[in-house]
Amino acid sequence: MATCDFLVVQAYDGIVLARPEKDRLLDAAAIASLSDALIALVDRYPRISLILDLGAVQALSSAMLGKLVALHKAVKAAKGRMAVTGVKTSIMPLFTVTRLDKVFEFFPEAQEALLLYRRKPL
Amino acid sequence: MKPPPIVAAEPPDGGELVFARRWPSRVERKQAMLDELADVLVGRGWVSDDDREWLLLCLDEVLVNAMIHGNEGDPDLDVDVAIHAAGGRWRLTVCDRGDGFRGEELPDPDDSSSLLLEHGRGIRIMREWLDDLSYYRSGACAALTRRCAT
Repeated sequence: MATCDFLVVQAYDGIVLARPEKDRLLDAAAIASLSDALIALVDRYPRISLILDLGAVQALSSAMLGKLVALHKAVKAAKGRMAVTGVKTSIMPLFTVTRLDKVFEFFPEAQEALLLYRRKPL
Repeated sequence: MKPPPIVAAEPPDGGELVFARRWPSRVERKQAMLDELADVLVGRGWVSDDDREWLLLCLDEVLVNAMIHGNEGDPDLDVDVAIHAAGGRWRLTVCDRGDGFRGEELPDPDDSSSLLLEHGRGIRIMREWLDDLSYYRSGACAALTRRCAT
């Protein structure tokens, strides 16, 4: 399974909380490592309920946004669901100007998505 | 949103030249380039500290485009970066050795069918913060312009 040395993963009964502990997702190696590790989670957990907590992220590039789109598509193809949480107000414009705010489901805190996914299992 | 203007001409005179550097297309050295350029613009007070992340993001997008797309990742091909200033505005140009591109090659961000593409968002992001983003030399030269913060 692909690993990423700055990705912290916790799994609870098919609900997977993934939190990159890195403030800048700009360089190609970091983006590839994170993307591969996230896609590996989709492969590992059937019908995954993925909570991607971006609370530590201060900057990310269009390349990283592209990888998040690929992740979203992989989750949907696996008949799973995905929440993006903790997005800082400073980087939210990146999602809005690219209209990805219409694609992803956002929650202010990971805990909110976790409670919702627990209340409504797939 | 229309694609940015792409013309065959050279970039127009941007005023006083305050920085010029030639770098090889080595993405692993990108962070040092970003920091050096940001230090010039923030150090002169032309970009506020609060906007440093936006600046770094735009620099990252334009340098990656030049090195990876324009120069196709060839480390033997350089990118030329210059900063000019005039009339209360700074302009940063990044020129690669490629053949440029055409506006039709860029995904239309307003087209819902492009929403799930995995590329093509960098220009839109840069235009969100910059006052102007134009391309010269048929797209091989990007010019990023913004008013000075002070």
